[in-house]
Amino acid sequence: MSSAYSFDAIVVGAGPAGSSAALTMARAGLKVALVERGTFPGEKNMFGGVLHRLPSLEEVFPDFWERAPLERHIVKKGVTFMTGDSTFSTTIEAGNFDRPPYNGYTIFRPRFDRWLAEEAVKAGATLITRATVDELVIRNGQVAGVTILDRRGELTAPVVVAADGVLSFTAKKAGLRQPTFDPGQMAVGVKALIDMPREMIDDRFGLVRDQGFANEFVGGTGGVRGGGFLYTNYDSLSIGLVFHLGSLRTSGKTPYDLLNAFMEQPQVDKMIRGGRLQEYSAHVIPEGGYAMIPELVGDGIIVAGDAAALCNATGLNLEGINLASHSGVLAGKAVIAAHQAGDFSRRGLQVYRQLMDDSYVIKDLKLYRKAPHMLHNDRIYNEYPELVCGMMEYIYRIDGAPKENLSKLFLKTAREKVGLKNLAADAFSAWRAL
Amino acid sequence: MNIDEIFDFTSFTIDREPHIVLDPQVCVNCDNRGCTNSCPARCYTWSEEEKKMTFVHDGCLECGTCYVVCHRNAFTRWRYPRGGFGVAYRMT
Repeated sequence: MSSAYSFDAIVVGAGPAGSSAALTMARAGLKVALVERGTFPGEKNMFGGVLHRLPSLEEVFPDFWERAPLERHIVKKGVTFMTGDSTFSTTIEAGNFDRPPYNGYTIFRPRFDRWLAEEAVKAGATLITRATVDELVIRNGQVAGVTILDRRGELTAPVVVAADGVLSFTAKKAGLRQPTFDPGQMAVGVKALIDMPREMIDDRFGLVRDQGFANEFVGGTGGVRGGGFLYTNYDSLSIGLVFHLGSLRTSGKTPYDLLNAFMEQPQVDKMIRGGRLQEYSAHVIPEGGYAMIPELVGDGIIVAGDAAALCNATGLNLEGINLASHSGVLAGKAVIAAHQAGDFSRRGLQVYRQLMDDSYVIKDLKLYRKAPHMLHNDRIYNEYPELVCGMMEYIYRIDGAPKENLSKLFLKTAREKVGLKNLAADAFSAWRAL
Repeated sequence: MNIDEIFDFTSFTIDREPHIVLDPQVCVNCDNRGCTNSCPARCYTWSEEEKKMTFVHDGCLECGTCYVVCHRNAFTRWRYPRGGFGVAYRMT
């Protein structure tokens, strides 16, 4: 860059939020810069592994699912309670999940994000890679562009969309997000990608055609609050753990040792045996829910995706990319409206806040706003897996002793493992949170 | 699996200029040093004998964990690597 390059809008970060915003704006004829620090979009991004449906992108992009680089569609969903040498699992396999429109797919971010950004480019956006945004350009008290680290000059536009991920330094510099984070509102995910022949995956998990399996684990995190996951790709498995940072920090345990122990747990080992480690990755996840959402709009700036902490982790469903993409489309619409009105002030961009409030993104996060607090309960990660596994082991063990009445047995095990008062309190808190 | 192997599979384009810079003096007085166990790439090492924190940026996964868990604000710089440098995921 020699001097100033001017655009109608600058999007910081070519992840699902940024590319969805750029695509929406470029389609409407705006001159958009999509700025990405990787050598290609998706190079820096990781997640567990399931992409849910993207209703807003399907609107912009009717043949989305035919064109996107996807892996298997999820037909089977499971939860496994784990205690170290016992597991208890439930799975649901629904015929509905095996028919279009599919409910979710496994994907690889370096492929998916790159493809989505290229679609934005096809619509007319200018993708600038290898560009780490450094400072905001402020003119007359409004955000008016960005500078790029180690490059001269600046990019200017009347509005910037901050889609630069969970730590969003762009939103911080605009004074929209809290200056420091609460480890209690954050988690870190670590993941191993395990290479495995397709037929082995099909046989092992009972899959045919392009069917996929998604499993979550409760317990198995060495007492650290968090959980595990295993997802099937075409010819690899994504396996990993997510830890609440408040709990991990004081545990003295390391994520990779815990991941190793998890993969060596006998029932998990059977799932990944014969596979070959291919890549290890990690990333922080905004898990604070509704309470963590920053100011979404400032003068000349809008915040979307992880940068806006749009992540729904209730323990049952884990959503992020769908929320990011939806917020990106809405951010794009708000910028288009601001261009029509010629007003890029906080007030002029406020339409984004309204669109978000009316969308499932904010509505769901509001509905589940108590879930992050409920999940900060160590009993979920220690005592409950023991309760479930202990009880199921008892039910199935035949040793000549007469059986006990099941509800009595449950109460007895619950009293031993959890305490009845705790059980009642936790059940109430879960009921209110979900 | 040998846990040391896990770090060998991820690719990097290493920048000579570190994107994270510590003031190790702050770490000496830290009562927690949660970064040493929390960092998924084991970039932080505390030496009890030397009373010294060492940070190596080469294998940094840019995940953000240290930025969140450090409650002493020990960073004189915490930003992402310059464009094109740092971790390069292929399949994750």
